[in-house]
Amino acid sequence: MNRRPDTATRAGRLLALIPMLKKGETIALSELAAAVGCEPAQVAADLSTLSMCGVPPFTPYDMIDLMIDGDSVTVYAEAPGIDRPLRLTLGEARALGAALDAAGYEDTAPLRERLRETASSTVSLDELEHTVRASAGPGGMAETYATLAAAADTHEKVHIHYFTGSTGNVSDRTVHPWALVNRLGVWYLVALCEAVHEERVFRLDRIFDARPTGESFEPPSLVPIEVTPDTDSLPVATVRFAAGARLPDGEAWPGATFETASDGTTLAAVPYQTESWIARRVMAYLGDAEVIAPPELRAAVRQAAIDALKPIQ
Amino acid sequence: MSDPVERMVNLALYLASTHTPRTAEDCRAAGLGYPEDQDDAAFIRMFERDKDALRAGGLVIEVVDAGESDAYRVDPDATYARPVDLTDAERSVLRAVATAFVDDPAFPFGDELLSAVSKLGTSGTGGPLASADLGRTAPEGQGIHARAIAEAVQTRKTVTFEYTNAADQTRVRSVDPYGVFFRDGSWYLVGRDRDADAVRTYAIPRMRDIDVNPSRPRTPDFERPADFDIRKAERLPFQYGGEPFPATVRFLPETAWRIDRLARGHGDSQTLPDGSAVWTVEANDARRLASWIVDEGPGLYAVEPDSVVEELVAGLKRVAASHE
Repeated sequence: MNRRPDTATRAGRLLALIPMLKKGETIALSELAAAVGCEPAQVAADLSTLSMCGVPPFTPYDMIDLMIDGDSVTVYAEAPGIDRPLRLTLGEARALGAALDAAGYEDTAPLRERLRETASSTVSLDELEHTVRASAGPGGMAETYATLAAAADTHEKVHIHYFTGSTGNVSDRTVHPWALVNRLGVWYLVALCEAVHEERVFRLDRIFDARPTGESFEPPSLVPIEVTPDTDSLPVATVRFAAGARLPDGEAWPGATFETASDGTTLAAVPYQTESWIARRVMAYLGDAEVIAPPELRAAVRQAAIDALKPIQ
Repeated sequence: MSDPVERMVNLALYLASTHTPRTAEDCRAAGLGYPEDQDDAAFIRMFERDKDALRAGGLVIEVVDAGESDAYRVDPDATYARPVDLTDAERSVLRAVATAFVDDPAFPFGDELLSAVSKLGTSGTGGPLASADLGRTAPEGQGIHARAIAEAVQTRKTVTFEYTNAADQTRVRSVDPYGVFFRDGSWYLVGRDRDADAVRTYAIPRMRDIDVNPSRPRTPDFERPADFDIRKAERLPFQYGGEPFPATVRFLPETAWRIDRLARGHGDSQTLPDGSAVWTVEANDARRLASWIVDEGPGLYAVEPDSVVEELVAGLKRVAASHE
């Protein structure tokens, strides 16, 4: 979270810093930097600026009086006039709402209800909620998100009930939550799965239940945040799409390449991790896509289609 | 004094520390940092910019009639927030979303998000490791354009842009922007197309040369319909195309919990005595609904109408037959 701010943004950050400077307190620069989201060196520069600010007649008693000593600042006189945090502006309330949308927090979630009280009275939150929506987060996911964010923060193991989309299997796993990664609006958990003692990636919207175990784990020094598989080492299927079929994009079918023939059909080379994954993707084309090779994958697609027909017929 | 940030902070402290409203001339004479040799017009421009910046930072500056000129003071009730009690988990959530989105160029509101979490005291280093990569294409351009359009939504200014549709046809559109939403790697604008006189949805990555009407920036160009709700404008993949019809999808007991995750606020669901659940939702395209059911399966299937069930059965039979 490091940005080079413009003048107005920097002034806004200084206004956010001011209520944190209480007379008689010595505060670590790193603590202030953490609170306003910048580097300690930037905070030191901000504090230096603030030490030049005050109100008329600008005697030493009318100025913000502080001294930076090494990695900390001591406040001798706090700012006149502003002693409490400011309410959120329209832009800030919009940004926070959009970010929480994306984490699955609906407008009526208790956290959002409480944060409404921090917005300026000049902001119409109803209008914001009716006009801006970063609806990356599916409903019902907020509790899972909170559990995993807290566990990743405190390095606590979590027990999850996980639905594997391609097979429909549900498994119980104990994982070490390393990181939360959003890719194109979908949240993933990057974690160590204790059952296999390997890194695994889980879609948050397929985690039915997540409960902290009370046990801690040691995070690795370097956490991978790549959530798409390394397709170079995967087997490759050949899939033919009918003329006019809407082709999948490379994000939904990672590593896939496409070549359209003169008759309008398209041949795709598709790396795949599991037969069940690619079988379901092909089935969803309802006949407009066909696995050409390998033969065992053709058989898997056929069997998956027969199984899918059973509950309907 | 030449540092504009010092001047702005001095003005904020001056207006916040007095109960007596202060005129522009009071502020000029108070030694806050306005150049002494500045002419009146230049001073007023600078003073107005400073007030706008402080308002943008969260100060609510009241304007009081002081006879020959206006006077100003900070409205404390409207300006200061009461402390919010947050649980440790909620602090972790705010830090996670901030860490993820502040540096993602496709998130249009990164600066404001950083500022918001700073005010809440939940920003900073540490916290859960998180990252985001929202944009499917041109993330930086998407973020900038979505931000500009979101501003136009709030100020109700008409936007004009060159738009290339899925059929690769390009033309200039003039749209009254009602709202923006994000889905599957792209931001979208929903608004009234002035030429078509109809509400349309436009993918922001397909736009070029976006221009927000610069004339009379404080005067709205249009009124948004009172019942507009962006949550209704955002549709599921099978809710585009022909006439709408009600459809029912059944979720088996072990997958019934997924309705909330997949419905995204659309339709109504009901849990049945055996633990399964039915979801009734409006659809416009039977084949795309059938395809969506397969893609999101297993554990769900179409119940009605017959057109969707037939699409599903016929489609799966075609798959089985073509893979013999």
